[in-house]
Amino acid sequence: MMRTTCPYCGVGCQVEPEVREGRVVRVLAPDLPPNHGALCVKGRFGLDFPFSGKRLLYPMVRERKGAPLRRATWEEALDFAAGKLLEVLRRKGPGGIAVFPSAKTTNEEVYLAQKLARALLSTHNVDHCSRLCHSSSTAALSRSLGGASMTNPIEDVWKTDLFLVVGSNTTETHPVIAAMIKKRVRQGARMIVVDPRYTGMAEAATLWLRVRPGTDVFLLNAMARYLLEEGLWDRAYVEARTEGFAEWRASLEGYTLEAAQEVTGVPKEGIAEAARLYATTERAGAYWAMGVTQHTKGTATAQALVNLALLTGKVGKEGAGLNPLRGQNNVQGAGDMGALPDVYPGYLRVAEEGPRRRFEALWGVPLPEAPGLRMTEVFAAIPEVEAIYLIGEDPVTSEPYQDHVKEKLLALPFLVVQDILENETTPFADVVLPAASFLEKEGTFTNTDRRVQRVRKLLDPPGEARPDWWITQELGKRLAQALGRPWPTYPGPETIWEEVRRAIPEMVGGISYARLEAQGVRWPCPEEGHPGEAVLFREGFNTPTGKARFFPAPYTPPAETPSPDYPLTLSTGRVLFHWHGGTLSRNSQLNQAYPELKVEVNPIDAKRLGLEDGEPVYVVSRRGRIRARAWVTERTPEGVVYAPFHFAEAPANRLTLDALDPVSRIPEYKVSAVRLEKAD
Amino acid sequence: MRLKVNGKEVEAKEGALLLEVAPVPTLCHHPHTETRGVCRLCLVEVNGRLAPACATEVREGMEVRTDTEGLKALRRTLLEWLALTTDLSLAPGLLGLMAAYGAEPGRWKEAPSRRGRPPIRDNPFFLRDYAKCVNCRRCVDACGDGIMGVYALTLAGRGLQAHPTTPLDRPLPETPCVFCGNCVQVCPTGALRPLALEVG
Repeated sequence: MMRTTCPYCGVGCQVEPEVREGRVVRVLAPDLPPNHGALCVKGRFGLDFPFSGKRLLYPMVRERKGAPLRRATWEEALDFAAGKLLEVLRRKGPGGIAVFPSAKTTNEEVYLAQKLARALLSTHNVDHCSRLCHSSSTAALSRSLGGASMTNPIEDVWKTDLFLVVGSNTTETHPVIAAMIKKRVRQGARMIVVDPRYTGMAEAATLWLRVRPGTDVFLLNAMARYLLEEGLWDRAYVEARTEGFAEWRASLEGYTLEAAQEVTGVPKEGIAEAARLYATTERAGAYWAMGVTQHTKGTATAQALVNLALLTGKVGKEGAGLNPLRGQNNVQGAGDMGALPDVYPGYLRVAEEGPRRRFEALWGVPLPEAPGLRMTEVFAAIPEVEAIYLIGEDPVTSEPYQDHVKEKLLALPFLVVQDILENETTPFADVVLPAASFLEKEGTFTNTDRRVQRVRKLLDPPGEARPDWWITQELGKRLAQALGRPWPTYPGPETIWEEVRRAIPEMVGGISYARLEAQGVRWPCPEEGHPGEAVLFREGFNTPTGKARFFPAPYTPPAETPSPDYPLTLSTGRVLFHWHGGTLSRNSQLNQAYPELKVEVNPIDAKRLGLEDGEPVYVVSRRGRIRARAWVTERTPEGVVYAPFHFAEAPANRLTLDALDPVSRIPEYKVSAVRLEKAD
Repeated sequence: MRLKVNGKEVEAKEGALLLEVAPVPTLCHHPHTETRGVCRLCLVEVNGRLAPACATEVREGMEVRTDTEGLKALRRTLLEWLALTTDLSLAPGLLGLMAAYGAEPGRWKEAPSRRGRPPIRDNPFFLRDYAKCVNCRRCVDACGDGIMGVYALTLAGRGLQAHPTTPLDRPLPETPCVFCGNCVQVCPTGALRPLALEVG
């Protein structure tokens, strides 16, 4: 049986799909980390999307705007794409082009795509979907600790005595980790859950704090202020290992328990108890996800968590730490491989001379100094940005304020879409390049706890589809030839990985394909004999001084608050059976279990509107309306409705707004003002 | 610590199960579901007394026998009764053990059987075919304390009527089931199996 890595979430479960007569008939999981035989419904029953009738099977081109997409040969499509990109490059310069590598593709493919942007197109306009996901966490973690990942490994769950879970619907979004945490709680550990919704985690919690949406940062700051007042903080740790303490402490002045109760809606006794539990439990780990990050104060909220962990000395220790649960199968790897506008592979800063020199020497080209645009900024900059090379992503479904995104894509002169399946963005493409799925190629993914794991080829790609690395390499070959720049031809993914090892040896130098045969290896792993680091920052932090830095994390209200016309707050997210824009899960067996959009409505709001469970309803914001079925449930609090964003025919992101966090430029997916209208 | 297995001295860590040092067949035992002591196939003699190897910790100086004539006869009978009462056609492991122990279910003539139970198809992902179920409890424990903490499966009935089911026999979609299929993975007899295996 061939072992590979699940293509859904960041847990990185090892799977053994059994393929018979062109179908996945069964998926078993080996007894290996990180999942040790366990899977969730997506890994177990959702790996059949590669066999969907919506697969892109041959290249297509649209010769001019208004003309239909027509079938083309690979030669034609690649020549056409390269020609257009070169034309934009000549006319607009490097700033006119952006490349979006995909967090669903392999490390090797991401590395090659960002190399194409930087070394051939001379632009740092490189970004990936983490912009919409954990960019606020990585911003806060990078500036405070000098690292952008979980500080502790997944198996530290078994050593943790207190879980502080903030804004993570773990049982639905990272089910295998949730099962581990819940089992640890059954063994006697305690769990504090901060969430407006009564999620599976809230159900299993020792203490559930039902905050109002978007007020987490106030709660976390109040916890810190209370601990300082009570003297329940780790003075020795703060003195030895941190800086910026006094300034940060002064910023907490207004965050009293009383004020926190007023703003968050959580009784002050609950906030005090949570603070005490967290501070006085030696092995206390913080876990969080989109409930923290997808706000106009996402970076501040992640920062408040970082501050709280530093105040109580929880970073650099087993069974504790700061643990952002990453969403995509290879979103950790996409960042590691440099699919970001301000860093090269290995998080080496674009603006610094040392890293620039290193990559100039490795790639044999001069490289630009100024960081590029972030994904949300690229879309705003259309038509100043004239061409986008988009890999494995459906921005029409995943970006906020869908009508605006569609307008922008219509105004974009040239769009290359490289994907495995047709989705809502494909109709906007000028060139469509059909890619191979995870079952049809070799490579590596890096999971949420920094473990690099193999992806293996079990099948040939259908039709004329090719692996993403092959497509990017062929496109690069044409660009390099025209520009007179070097561009080696790689015989396969392993050769690309070898170049990554040479580029950032301090991070992955010790991780070879041969080593990965037995099981995945975590970075940092500088040498072949190195086991891979489990707990980060045991000795020092990755900052210039080696100390972690406190930053003030001020509370600000959401960009859009309820009004008489739009009296309810809409929060968006995921459900167990689906994946993001739905391109994968809705083209799999999973769709049978959850075929249409259900919007969670609190019974009190439902009663006010005369709305019964299961009735059709319109959800309306200032930007648009969608039709859904009402799920009347106390999972969601009064005044808040919850809509998953997986459904192209009823896209939640038609409703959301494009207000951005000032630091990370993440959109505020978790708060917009809406009303419900009965639909007959 | 040191103990003797079939006359040979072996070394074992404190807290280890006899299963880890003694070669015995198993059925209900599974490291991740924590099921133990249900099927009795792994019974061994410890200082002359019967004990399940999957539920007995090693002790200094133990004298363990795994293959006495009595134990072989016991395992053979257990296997014969499983085969008499259950459809083992998708349980290659058990069929192999039957051959190895020379099991002849026919010598017991007829017995009340689970074979008539119709398969339950109540969800898009997997089948519950309890004619093939030997009540090992792995599925119940994978769903509950062992892995998931979901508790969508339970054991109902007694004796030959006993079988895993959902609370109040509800269809799975009406239970807390999250369709992780961890029950399917740990099922040793094919009683729980993916629907994708059925078609075509």
